[in-house]
Amino acid sequence: MLKPIIDHRYFLWGLLAIPSIPMIAALIAGTPGENGQPVTEALLHPTGEFSARFLIITMIITPLRMIFPNAAFWRWMMKRRRYFGMAAFFYALFHTLLYILDMGSLQAILGEFLALGIWTGWLAMLIFIPLAVTSTDRAVRKMGARWKTLQRTVYVAAFATLLHWIFVHNNFGPALVHFVPLAGLEAYRIFHNTRRRIGKKQEA
Amino acid sequence: MHFLKFPSLTAIAFVLPFCASATGLYQCETTLKSEWISKEALTEKLEGQGWVVRFVKEDGGCWEVYGNTPEGKRVEGYFHPVTGEPKIIAQRGRVIFKANEQN
Repeated sequence: MLKPIIDHRYFLWGLLAIPSIPMIAALIAGTPGENGQPVTEALLHPTGEFSARFLIITMIITPLRMIFPNAAFWRWMMKRRRYFGMAAFFYALFHTLLYILDMGSLQAILGEFLALGIWTGWLAMLIFIPLAVTSTDRAVRKMGARWKTLQRTVYVAAFATLLHWIFVHNNFGPALVHFVPLAGLEAYRIFHNTRRRIGKKQEA
Repeated sequence: MHFLKFPSLTAIAFVLPFCASATGLYQCETTLKSEWISKEALTEKLEGQGWVVRFVKEDGGCWEVYGNTPEGKRVEGYFHPVTGEPKIIAQRGRVIFKANEQN
């Protein structure tokens, strides 16, 4: 009885939007952070973190499906991968808008643009835009093979996100906790694909 | 299970994050809390020098100040909690000032 509800895309959209509800409420109310920081600054970290989490979830679906080919859960996730990707995009957009609001002027933004922890964030956002725009069925059909090439730039965005997270605060811990599992799964995927390719060559 | 074929990979994935958890940019020398200057006094001092102080919190035995320098750079700075002197100032993780440590 629950299945049609769980399988409905609005259910998943609602689920992915839940973390943003307290954030939007705090922004509207102008609630300062726990140390008295302005709300725009207090929300920077959670919006960025959720964006990175959804990005990582989007990217681990394929390798986990490879490891568990018969698991219904990962098949279910694979069908909904784009929604996780869109969630990563929307939280990143929210994060960027908060940053612009928090900085308050173009001069201030440009003044720190070249810091490693900042331009890497802009680069990731810049890559996310075309990926989000081409996430429709129509774009997939129209672009054919080029769609996959374009979507693969997500690896560049993920690496830029990792650098952004580490260097904006000079702190490796939290960023690595999130990204090392992804790196491990990607390493497995490359290992698996290479082995399969070698196997095919030997058969031929 | 398939995943167990790659215990090393799994180990790396779960252990590495715990090895790399350094926090904070700076550690101040140990000082008596009773000798600390107040947040308000530090804020006032910095604002007198042209800073915009957004908020102050305690970190690494220092006062950590978030705000804009007189040049308009958004920074986080670690200040000695007794003398109120800057120890390290970073703009988005990029260190733009570091005190000379003679002792």
